[in-house]
Amino acid sequence: MTAITVSNLSFRYQNSGPNIIENINFTPEPASFNLLAGSSGSGKSTLLKIMAGLYPQFGGTITAGQVLLNGQEIGPIVPFERAQRIALLFQNPDRQFAMRTAWEQLIFSLENLQLSPELITQRATDALQKFDLWELRNQSLQTLSGGEQQRVALANILALDSDIILLDEPFANVDPTGRQTILSQLKLLQIEHGKTIIISDHDLHDYIDLADAVFTLEQQHLTRQPLGILTDLPSDTLIWHAQNKLPESGQLAWHNLTIEVGSRRLLNQQSWQLPENQLGLLSGPNGIGKSTFFKALAHLQPYQGQITFAEQVSEKIKLKNWTSKVAWVMQNARDQFITLTVSDELAISSRHSANPAYWTTTVIEQAIQDLNLTAVLEQSVYQLSGGQQKKLQTLSMLIMAPQVLLIDEPLAGLDYQSSQVLLSLIQRVVHDLNLSALMISHQRTGLQPYLDYELRLDHEQIVDLRGLSHES
Amino acid sequence: MQTVKQNKGRWTLRQVIFLAIIAIFFGIIYEVWSFAYYALAATPLKAVANDATLGVWLMAGPVAGVLLKRAGATTLGELLAATVEMLLFSSWGVSTLISGFIQGFASELGFAFTGYKNWRRLGLTLSVITSTIITFAYDLFASGYSQYSLSLLATLLIVRFLSIAFFAGILVYWIELLVEKSGLLK
Amino acid sequence: MNLKINPTVLLVTILSLGILLTFTRSVWLNLAMIIGASLYLVFNRPAFKKILLIGLFVLPLAFGTWWSFIVYGTGDTWHNAWIFSTRIYAYVWLGIALTFTNSVDELLFSLVQNIRLSATFAYGILAAFNLLNKIRRQVKIIRYAGQVRGITYHFWQPQLYFKAIIVALTWSGDLAEAMTSHGFSEGFSRSHYQTIPLPLWQWLIPIGVLALSLSFLVICQPW
Repeated sequence: MTAITVSNLSFRYQNSGPNIIENINFTPEPASFNLLAGSSGSGKSTLLKIMAGLYPQFGGTITAGQVLLNGQEIGPIVPFERAQRIALLFQNPDRQFAMRTAWEQLIFSLENLQLSPELITQRATDALQKFDLWELRNQSLQTLSGGEQQRVALANILALDSDIILLDEPFANVDPTGRQTILSQLKLLQIEHGKTIIISDHDLHDYIDLADAVFTLEQQHLTRQPLGILTDLPSDTLIWHAQNKLPESGQLAWHNLTIEVGSRRLLNQQSWQLPENQLGLLSGPNGIGKSTFFKALAHLQPYQGQITFAEQVSEKIKLKNWTSKVAWVMQNARDQFITLTVSDELAISSRHSANPAYWTTTVIEQAIQDLNLTAVLEQSVYQLSGGQQKKLQTLSMLIMAPQVLLIDEPLAGLDYQSSQVLLSLIQRVVHDLNLSALMISHQRTGLQPYLDYELRLDHEQIVDLRGLSHES
Repeated sequence: MQTVKQNKGRWTLRQVIFLAIIAIFFGIIYEVWSFAYYALAATPLKAVANDATLGVWLMAGPVAGVLLKRAGATTLGELLAATVEMLLFSSWGVSTLISGFIQGFASELGFAFTGYKNWRRLGLTLSVITSTIITFAYDLFASGYSQYSLSLLATLLIVRFLSIAFFAGILVYWIELLVEKSGLLK
Repeated sequence: MNLKINPTVLLVTILSLGILLTFTRSVWLNLAMIIGASLYLVFNRPAFKKILLIGLFVLPLAFGTWWSFIVYGTGDTWHNAWIFSTRIYAYVWLGIALTFTNSVDELLFSLVQNIRLSATFAYGILAAFNLLNKIRRQVKIIRYAGQVRGITYHFWQPQLYFKAIIVALTWSGDLAEAMTSHGFSEGFSRSHYQTIPLPLWQWLIPIGVLALSLSFLVICQPW
C-alpha cells in the first residue's frame, strides 16, 4: 500500500513572494475518498501538483516541510516510479495528452513504465473497456467532449495502476452526466481497487455519499471539516417573475441558430434577441456549450442559421467591424491582454472607446480605484493575480463600450467583496450606455440584485427563465 | 525507488515542447502572409521576393536563442521550424530541412562569436551578419545565384541583408524586450 | 505491391540526394530524381490528387525561377533556367516521397529506435504537433483580441509573436507536467510497443542510390 505524507509544507512561486500555502499537514487514509474544497486561487492546484511531485521541478520553491511517498522525498523520485504510485488528472482536459488518440496515449504511458508489449495490450484494453471507451479508442482526442477526455485521462491513470489518484478541478469542462459517471467510477476505483482518491472541486454537490473526509484550503491553510458541510448546501437558485419581463428591444438577434462541434450538436435555437439596457445571466451545466455559443456570436466559431445586428445579416459585416459591435470578453483573461502594463491596457481602451464622452479620465480613475487596481497600475499584466486580471480585463472591455458585451466568467478568482464591486460596475455601465450584456458565471451567490434576466442553455435550447414556474 | 540525477546540460522536455510550439505558431503566422510572396514568386522577380522575405523564415532560430540563451538553441529552433514547415506545407520539400539547418547554424554562429554571452544588440548584430553571408553563399550553389549578373547579385545581397536585419534582428530584439518586460521568463 | 523503406533510411537517402543536387548542375539528374521519387510514391500510396495539387502549387515558383534566369542570368541562360526550375521540383518530389509515405509518428519513432534520437525530442515534438488545431485556433484568438480593441496586428510588429510565445510557455508547461505525471522520464529508457524493423541491407539503399547518381554524373556528364 502506498502512503503519502505532507508535513509542515510551505510553498511559494516567486523567490521573494508570499507563501501560497503555509504549514500544510495532510496524510490521507489509504483507500479513502477525500474532497478538497476552497475557492479558485486558494492554492488547491498548487498543493496537488506538489503532492504529484511536479512542483518544484516545474516551478516555485518549497520553503519549509516536505512531501514523502512511502517515506521517501517525492521530488527526486524518477517519474516512472512515481506514476505507478501517484498520478494527477489535470484541470484542462485537452492539454494533458501527448498523443493523438486514447489508444496511443495509453501505449505511451505504459511504454514509460517499460512494460512488455503483451502487458501493454492487456492493460490498455482492460482500462479502456472498464470505462466504456473502447469504441472511442482511435478517435482524435481533440474531438472528444470534456467529459470523454477526462474519462480517457482516468483510464490512463487506471492503466498506470497508480495507488493514489489526484484530481485537480476535473469537472470544469464536463457536463453533469459526465460528472456523475466519473464520480461513480472514482468510487468504484476506491472500493474495488483500494485506490486513494483526492479530488479538488469548488462545487460540493453530490459528494455526500462519496467522500470519507473533506478539507478546505483557505488563507493558505488546510483544515479538516465535518462531513456535515456537504449537506444543507446553500441554494443558489435565482428567482424570476413574469413581471420582470419588460417590453424590450435589442440590436443583436439570432434565428434558427445551430452550432455543432465535431459530431456533437450544442445548440438548435429558434429566434431570440438580446434586450438592450439589461444585464443577463447565461446559465447551464458545465461543458454544455455556453462559451462556444459566445464564440459563435463573436464570429469565432462556425454556425448555421442567422445572426443579425440591427436587422443586418452578420456575415455581411467584416470581422473588424463586427468586433466593434459585439465583443467577447474571454474566459481566459490573459488571452485578452494586448499590452504589457495595467495602465497601457486601460489607455488603449480609452483611446479606442466607442463612447469617449462617457469614459472621461475621472470616470476611469474612479473605476480603477473602486476595483482596487491603483497600486498595480505600472505592473506587468502577466504578474497580476487571477482575480486582478479578471477585473482589469472586464474594465478594459467596458471602456471599449461595444453595443453588445458577452462576458465569460468575469468573477473567476474574485472574493465576494470584489465580485460585488465588479458586478455593480458592469450593471452601471450597461444602464448608463444602454448596452446589451450577457454573462456566464458558475459563481451564483450574490448575483440576483444585479441581474435583469437569466437564460438557461440545456438540451440544445436556450430558455428565458422569466415567468417560468421555478421548480428549484 | 530510483531517483533522477541532476542533469544541467540536457534539453528538458518542456524546452523541446516550447520550441516546437513556437515553431508551429510561426509556421501558421507565415502561412497567413505567404500569399504576397507567392504572387511575386511567379515572376522574374522571384529571386528578389526570395531575399526580401528570407528574414521572416529566419526568425524562429534567433527567437529560440534569445529566449533560452543557450548554445544550440538557435540551430535547434530553426531546424524545428523547418521540420514543421516541411510537414505542414511540404511545398518546399527536402530543401527546407537542409536550408533550415544551414540557416540555424548561420544565425547561431553570431551568438557563438560572443561566447554565448551577449544575446542583445551585439549578439543579434553578429548573428545577422553571419546569417546573411552564409545563407547567401549557400544560395550561390543551391539556387544558382552564381549564374546571375553581378548587378542583380549586389541588389540581392543588400535586399537580403535588410530583410534579415529587420526580421531576424530588430524584430527579434523587440520581441525579446516584450518577453523580458512581461516578467514571464525567469 | 508494397516496397516500404525504413523511414530513417529514407530520410538519410533523400537528405544525401538533396545535398548532392545542391552542388551539381544537371537537368537530367533533376529529372531522374523526380522519376525515382514518383516511382516510389506510386508503389506505396498513389494519392494522385494530392500529388497533382502539390505539382500545380509549385508550378508558379518553378516558372518564376525559370523566367528570372532568362531575364537576369549570365552564361548559358537557357541551361541554367532549366536546371534551377527542375531542381525545385526535384527537391519537392524527394520531400513528398518521405512525407506522403510516412506519418510524423512513424518517422519520429523510427529515429528513436533506429538511430537513438532522444525520446525527449521525439515525444516533445509529437506532443506539440498534436496541438496543431488548437494552435491554429489560438492564432485566431490572438488576432481577435487585437481587433476587439481596435488594433490590427501585422507580421512586422512584435505583438503577435509575443502573444504566441506567452501561450507556448503555458502550454509547454502543462504538457510537460502531464507527460511527467504519466511516467515519462527524461533520460531513462522506455519499452517499445511496436518495433520498427531496419534490416541492415537497407543501408545499401542510400549508398547505392548516391553511387548510381554520382557515376551517372561522372560517366554520362548529362546536360
